[in-house]
Amino acid sequence: MLVDFEVIKRAQAGDGTAFNDIVLAYRKRILGTITRLIARPEDVEDVAQEVFLRLYFSLNQLRTAEVFEPWLYRLTVNAAYDYLRKQRRRQEYRMSDLSEQQMMLADALAGGRAERDERDQKKVRESVDALLGAVSEADRILLMLKELEGLSLKELEKIYDITENALKVRLFRARQRVLKAFGAAAKGSKEPARAG
Amino acid sequence: MDLMRGSSDEQLDRLFRAYREACPTPEPSPNFMPELWHKIESRQTLGLSLRRFAGAFVTAAVAASLALGAYMAMPRTATPNPSYYSSYVEALAAANTIDTPDIVAPVRLDLGEN
Repeated sequence: MLVDFEVIKRAQAGDGTAFNDIVLAYRKRILGTITRLIARPEDVEDVAQEVFLRLYFSLNQLRTAEVFEPWLYRLTVNAAYDYLRKQRRRQEYRMSDLSEQQMMLADALAGGRAERDERDQKKVRESVDALLGAVSEADRILLMLKELEGLSLKELEKIYDITENALKVRLFRARQRVLKAFGAAAKGSKEPARAG
Repeated sequence: MDLMRGSSDEQLDRLFRAYREACPTPEPSPNFMPELWHKIESRQTLGLSLRRFAGAFVTAAVAASLALGAYMAMPRTATPNPSYYSSYVEALAAANTIDTPDIVAPVRLDLGEN
Protein backbone atom coordinates (compact mmCIF):
# COMPACT_ATOMS: atom_id res chain seq x y z
CA MET A 1 0.00 0.00 0.00
CA LEU A 2 1.29 3.42 -0.96
CA VAL A 3 -0.99 5.22 1.50
CA ASP A 4 -2.25 4.46 5.00
CA PHE A 5 -5.71 3.04 5.51
CA GLU A 6 -6.44 6.14 7.57
CA VAL A 7 -5.91 8.38 4.52
CA ILE A 8 -8.35 6.26 2.49
CA LYS A 9 -10.92 6.46 5.27
CA ARG A 10 -10.54 10.23 5.45
CA ALA A 11 -10.96 10.49 1.68
CA GLN A 12 -14.09 8.35 1.95
CA ALA A 13 -15.42 10.81 4.48
CA GLY A 14 -14.99 13.62 1.92
CA ASP A 15 -11.58 14.99 2.86
CA GLY A 16 -10.19 16.58 -0.33
CA THR A 17 -6.62 16.72 0.99
CA ALA A 18 -6.67 12.99 1.70
CA PHE A 19 -7.95 12.32 -1.82
CA ASN A 20 -5.17 14.53 -3.18
CA ASP A 21 -2.63 12.42 -1.24
CA ILE A 22 -4.04 9.23 -2.75
CA VAL A 23 -3.78 10.63 -6.29
CA LEU A 24 -0.24 11.83 -5.71
CA ALA A 25 0.77 8.44 -4.34
CA TYR A 26 -0.80 6.32 -7.07
CA ARG A 27 -0.79 8.46 -10.20
CA LYS A 28 2.61 7.31 -11.47
CA ARG A 29 1.71 3.66 -11.05
CA ILE A 30 -1.64 4.17 -12.76
CA LEU A 31 -0.01 6.14 -15.58
CA GLY A 32 2.44 3.26 -16.12
CA THR A 33 -0.31 0.65 -16.18
CA ILE A 34 -2.43 2.67 -18.58
CA THR A 35 0.55 3.31 -20.84
CA ARG A 36 1.00 -0.42 -21.25
CA LEU A 37 -2.71 -1.13 -21.53
CA ILE A 38 -3.63 1.38 -24.20
CA ALA A 39 -0.28 2.02 -25.91
CA ARG A 40 -1.12 5.61 -26.85
CA PRO A 41 1.05 8.03 -24.87
CA GLU A 42 -0.98 11.03 -25.99
CA ASP A 43 -4.14 9.73 -24.28
CA VAL A 44 -2.60 8.23 -21.14
CA GLU A 45 -3.19 11.25 -18.90
CA ASP A 46 -6.80 11.58 -19.96
CA VAL A 47 -7.52 7.96 -19.11
CA ALA A 48 -5.64 8.25 -15.80
CA GLN A 49 -7.68 11.30 -14.88
CA GLU A 50 -10.84 9.37 -15.73
CA VAL A 51 -9.69 6.63 -13.32
CA PHE A 52 -9.24 9.13 -10.47
CA LEU A 53 -12.48 10.83 -11.38
CA ARG A 54 -14.30 7.52 -11.03
CA LEU A 55 -12.40 6.90 -7.81
CA TYR A 56 -13.54 10.22 -6.38
CA PHE A 57 -17.20 9.60 -7.11
CA SER A 58 -17.25 5.96 -6.05
CA LEU A 59 -14.96 6.01 -3.04
CA ASN A 60 -17.91 5.79 -0.68
CA GLN A 61 -18.80 2.41 -2.23
CA LEU A 62 -15.52 0.88 -1.07
CA ARG A 63 -16.37 -1.48 1.78
CA THR A 64 -12.95 -1.67 3.45
CA ALA A 65 -9.71 0.20 2.91
CA GLU A 66 -7.86 -3.15 2.75
CA VAL A 67 -9.21 -3.90 -0.74
CA PHE A 68 -8.37 -0.45 -2.05
CA GLU A 69 -5.56 -1.45 -4.43
CA PRO A 70 -7.37 -4.25 -6.31
CA TRP A 71 -10.35 -1.95 -6.49
CA LEU A 72 -8.25 0.87 -7.98
CA TYR A 73 -6.86 -1.63 -10.48
CA ARG A 74 -10.39 -2.62 -11.40
CA LEU A 75 -11.28 1.02 -12.03
CA THR A 76 -8.13 1.33 -14.15
CA VAL A 77 -8.99 -1.78 -16.14
CA ASN A 78 -12.55 -0.56 -16.72
CA ALA A 79 -11.41 2.89 -17.83
CA ALA A 80 -8.83 1.37 -20.19
CA TYR A 81 -11.45 -1.07 -21.46
CA ASP A 82 -13.89 1.77 -22.20
CA TYR A 83 -11.16 3.75 -23.93
CA LEU A 84 -10.12 0.80 -26.10
CA ARG A 85 -13.73 0.09 -27.05
CA LYS A 86 -14.21 3.68 -28.20
CA GLN A 87 -10.88 3.59 -29.96
CA ARG A 88 -11.73 0.37 -31.75
CA ARG A 89 -14.89 1.90 -33.08
CA ARG A 90 -12.81 4.71 -34.54
CA GLN A 91 -10.03 2.65 -36.00
CA GLU A 92 -10.16 -1.01 -36.96
CA TYR A 93 -6.83 -2.74 -37.20
CA ARG A 94 -6.19 -4.87 -40.22
CA MET A 95 -4.17 -8.04 -40.12
CA SER A 96 -2.34 -7.02 -43.29
CA ASP A 97 -0.96 -4.01 -41.40
CA LEU A 98 0.16 -6.30 -38.63
CA SER A 99 2.36 -8.45 -40.81
CA GLU A 100 4.01 -5.37 -42.24
CA GLN A 101 4.53 -3.97 -38.77
CA GLN A 102 5.96 -7.26 -37.58
CA MET A 103 8.57 -7.09 -40.29
CA MET A 104 9.44 -3.56 -39.18
CA LEU A 105 9.58 -4.78 -35.61
CA ALA A 106 12.03 -7.54 -36.48
CA ASP A 107 14.21 -4.97 -38.22
CA ALA A 108 13.95 -2.59 -35.30
CA LEU A 109 14.91 -5.23 -32.76
CA ALA A 110 17.79 -6.62 -34.79
CA GLY A 111 19.97 -3.64 -33.88
CA GLY A 112 20.10 -4.53 -30.14
CA ARG A 113 18.82 -2.87 -27.04
CA ALA A 114 21.51 -0.23 -26.68
CA GLU A 115 20.95 1.16 -30.15
CA ARG A 116 17.19 1.14 -29.99
CA ASP A 117 15.89 4.66 -30.15
CA GLU A 118 12.48 6.15 -29.69
CA ARG A 119 11.50 5.38 -33.26
CA ASP A 120 12.10 1.68 -32.78
CA GLN A 121 10.22 1.70 -29.50
CA LYS A 122 7.32 3.28 -31.28
CA LYS A 123 7.40 0.48 -33.82
CA VAL A 124 7.35 -2.11 -31.03
CA ARG A 125 4.39 -0.39 -29.41
CA GLU A 126 2.55 -0.20 -32.70
CA SER A 127 3.25 -3.85 -33.47
CA VAL A 128 1.98 -5.11 -30.11
CA ASP A 129 -0.92 -2.72 -30.35
CA ALA A 130 -1.81 -4.12 -33.77
CA LEU A 131 -1.39 -7.70 -32.55
CA LEU A 132 -3.60 -7.14 -29.53
CA GLY A 133 -6.01 -5.23 -31.72
CA ALA A 134 -6.78 -8.57 -33.34
CA VAL A 135 -8.26 -9.94 -30.07
CA SER A 136 -10.98 -8.61 -27.80
CA GLU A 137 -10.37 -5.76 -25.34
CA ALA A 138 -11.01 -8.17 -22.47
CA ASP A 139 -8.30 -10.58 -23.70
CA ARG A 140 -5.93 -7.71 -24.30
CA ILE A 141 -6.29 -6.24 -20.83
CA LEU A 142 -6.08 -9.61 -19.08
CA LEU A 143 -2.87 -10.51 -20.91
CA MET A 144 -1.39 -7.08 -20.34
CA LEU A 145 -2.00 -7.29 -16.61
CA LYS A 146 -0.47 -10.76 -16.43
CA GLU A 147 2.39 -10.49 -18.90
CA LEU A 148 3.35 -6.83 -18.69
CA GLU A 149 2.22 -5.66 -15.29
CA GLY A 150 3.39 -8.94 -13.81
CA LEU A 151 0.35 -9.30 -11.57
CA SER A 152 0.02 -12.62 -9.76
CA LEU A 153 -2.97 -14.92 -10.13
CA LYS A 154 -4.07 -13.97 -6.61
CA GLU A 155 -4.07 -10.27 -7.51
CA LEU A 156 -5.93 -10.95 -10.74
CA GLU A 157 -8.50 -13.01 -8.85
CA LYS A 158 -9.27 -10.00 -6.66
CA ILE A 159 -9.48 -7.63 -9.62
CA TYR A 160 -11.71 -9.87 -11.72
CA ASP A 161 -13.53 -11.39 -8.76
CA ILE A 162 -13.40 -14.92 -10.19
CA THR A 163 -11.93 -18.23 -9.03
CA GLU A 164 -8.37 -19.25 -9.80
CA ASN A 165 -9.47 -22.01 -12.15
CA ALA A 166 -11.76 -19.72 -14.12
CA LEU A 167 -8.95 -17.18 -14.33
CA LYS A 168 -6.48 -19.77 -15.60
CA VAL A 169 -8.93 -20.86 -18.28
CA ARG A 170 -9.46 -17.26 -19.38
CA LEU A 171 -5.73 -16.59 -19.46
CA PHE A 172 -5.07 -19.74 -21.45
CA ARG A 173 -7.76 -18.93 -23.99
CA ALA A 174 -6.66 -15.30 -24.30
CA ARG A 175 -3.08 -16.37 -24.92
CA GLN A 176 -4.20 -18.96 -27.48
CA ARG A 177 -6.14 -16.31 -29.36
CA VAL A 178 -3.16 -13.96 -29.38
CA LEU A 179 -0.90 -16.79 -30.53
CA LYS A 180 -3.33 -17.59 -33.31
CA ALA A 181 -3.33 -13.95 -34.45
CA PHE A 182 0.44 -13.89 -34.14
CA GLY A 183 0.79 -17.07 -36.21
CA ALA A 184 -1.61 -15.77 -38.85
CA ALA A 185 0.36 -12.52 -39.10
CA ALA A 186 3.68 -14.34 -39.33
CA LYS A 187 2.27 -16.61 -42.02
CA GLY A 188 0.97 -13.58 -43.87
CA SER A 189 4.40 -11.95 -43.81
CA LYS A 190 6.09 -15.09 -45.15
CA GLU A 191 3.71 -15.77 -48.03
CA PRO A 192 4.79 -12.87 -50.29
CA ALA A 193 8.42 -13.97 -49.82
CA ARG A 194 7.54 -17.51 -51.00
CA ALA A 195 5.59 -16.18 -53.96
CA GLY A 196 8.45 -13.90 -54.99
CA MET B 1 17.69 -10.02 -30.12
CA ASP B 2 15.90 -11.86 -32.91
CA LEU B 3 12.20 -11.69 -32.30
CA MET B 4 11.28 -14.24 -34.93
CA ARG B 5 13.39 -17.08 -33.51
CA GLY B 6 12.01 -20.03 -31.51
CA SER B 7 8.44 -21.26 -31.02
CA SER B 8 5.41 -18.96 -31.23
CA ASP B 9 5.19 -18.96 -27.43
CA GLU B 10 8.78 -17.80 -27.09
CA GLN B 11 8.33 -15.21 -29.80
CA LEU B 12 5.27 -13.84 -28.08
CA ASP B 13 7.08 -13.67 -24.72
CA ARG B 14 9.94 -11.81 -26.36
CA LEU B 15 7.52 -9.44 -28.02
CA PHE B 16 5.86 -8.69 -24.67
CA ARG B 17 9.25 -8.11 -23.05
CA ALA B 18 10.24 -5.74 -25.84
CA TYR B 19 6.93 -3.97 -25.44
CA ARG B 20 7.43 -3.56 -21.68
CA GLU B 21 10.82 -1.96 -22.33
CA ALA B 22 9.33 0.22 -25.06
CA CYS B 23 6.67 1.58 -22.69
CA PRO B 24 8.46 3.59 -20.01
CA THR B 25 6.25 5.01 -17.29
CA PRO B 26 5.58 8.65 -18.20
CA GLU B 27 5.98 11.47 -15.72
CA PRO B 28 2.70 13.19 -14.91
CA SER B 29 2.45 16.64 -16.43
CA PRO B 30 2.27 19.69 -14.13
CA ASN B 31 -1.35 20.15 -15.19
CA PHE B 32 -2.40 16.69 -14.06
CA MET B 33 -3.77 17.69 -10.66
CA PRO B 34 -5.37 21.03 -11.67
CA GLU B 35 -7.08 19.35 -14.64
CA LEU B 36 -8.29 16.49 -12.47
CA TRP B 37 -9.82 18.85 -9.90
CA HIS B 38 -11.35 20.90 -12.68
CA LYS B 39 -13.01 17.75 -14.07
CA ILE B 40 -14.22 16.75 -10.60
CA GLU B 41 -15.74 20.18 -10.03
CA SER B 42 -17.37 20.20 -13.49
CA ARG B 43 -18.99 16.84 -12.82
CA GLN B 44 -20.10 17.93 -9.37
CA THR B 45 -21.71 21.06 -10.86
CA LEU B 46 -23.45 18.97 -13.50
CA GLY B 47 -24.69 16.55 -10.83
CA LEU B 48 -25.94 19.44 -8.71
CA SER B 49 -27.79 20.98 -11.69
CA LEU B 50 -29.38 17.64 -12.50
CA ARG B 51 -30.43 17.20 -8.87
CA ARG B 52 -31.95 20.69 -8.83
CA PHE B 53 -33.78 20.02 -12.06
CA ALA B 54 -35.05 16.69 -10.73
CA GLY B 55 -36.23 18.40 -7.52
CA ALA B 56 -38.07 21.11 -9.46
CA PHE B 57 -39.63 18.48 -11.72
CA VAL B 58 -40.87 16.44 -8.76
CA THR B 59 -42.33 19.56 -7.11
CA ALA B 60 -44.11 20.54 -10.34
CA ALA B 61 -45.43 17.00 -10.79
CA VAL B 62 -46.80 16.90 -7.21
CA ALA B 63 -48.46 20.33 -7.68
CA ALA B 64 -50.04 19.22 -10.97
CA SER B 65 -51.31 16.00 -9.36
CA LEU B 66 -52.88 17.94 -6.48
CA ALA B 67 -54.50 20.42 -8.86
CA LEU B 68 -55.87 17.62 -11.04
CA GLY B 69 -57.14 15.76 -7.95
CA ALA B 70 -58.93 18.87 -6.71
CA TYR B 71 -60.48 19.45 -10.12
CA MET B 72 -61.72 15.87 -10.33
CA ALA B 73 -63.19 16.07 -6.81
CA MET B 74 -65.29 19.14 -7.62
CA PRO B 75 -69.07 18.46 -8.16
CA ARG B 76 -70.22 18.79 -11.76
CA THR B 77 -73.07 21.38 -12.21
CA ALA B 78 -73.22 21.51 -16.01
CA THR B 79 -75.15 18.25 -16.38
CA PRO B 80 -78.27 18.22 -14.17
CA ASN B 81 -79.05 15.10 -12.23
CA PRO B 82 -82.11 13.31 -13.73
CA SER B 83 -83.47 12.61 -10.24
CA TYR B 84 -84.23 16.32 -9.85
CA TYR B 85 -86.90 16.24 -12.61
CA SER B 86 -90.42 16.22 -11.43
CA SER B 87 -91.74 13.71 -13.94
CA TYR B 88 -90.62 10.85 -16.06
CA VAL B 89 -91.63 12.67 -19.27
CA GLU B 90 -89.43 15.65 -18.45
CA ALA B 91 -86.50 13.43 -17.74
CA LEU B 92 -87.04 11.54 -20.99
CA ALA B 93 -87.30 14.76 -22.99
CA ALA B 94 -84.15 16.12 -21.43
CA ALA B 95 -82.29 12.91 -22.22
CA ASN B 96 -83.46 12.73 -25.87
CA THR B 97 -83.50 16.31 -27.03
CA ILE B 98 -82.01 15.66 -30.48
CA ASP B 99 -83.38 12.23 -31.29
CA THR B 100 -86.97 13.09 -30.40
CA PRO B 101 -88.81 14.51 -33.47
CA ASP B 102 -90.82 17.68 -32.93
CA ILE B 103 -94.62 17.07 -33.22
CA VAL B 104 -96.02 20.19 -34.89
CA ALA B 105 -99.50 19.01 -35.89
CA PRO B 106 -101.76 15.98 -35.66
CA VAL B 107 -101.56 13.50 -38.56
CA ARG B 108 -104.62 13.44 -40.86
CA LEU B 109 -105.49 10.49 -43.05
CA ASP B 110 -107.72 11.16 -46.11
CA LEU B 111 -109.38 7.85 -46.78
CA GLY B 112 -112.53 9.03 -48.68
CA GLU B 113 -111.04 10.51 -51.96
CA ASN B 114 -111.45 7.50 -54.28
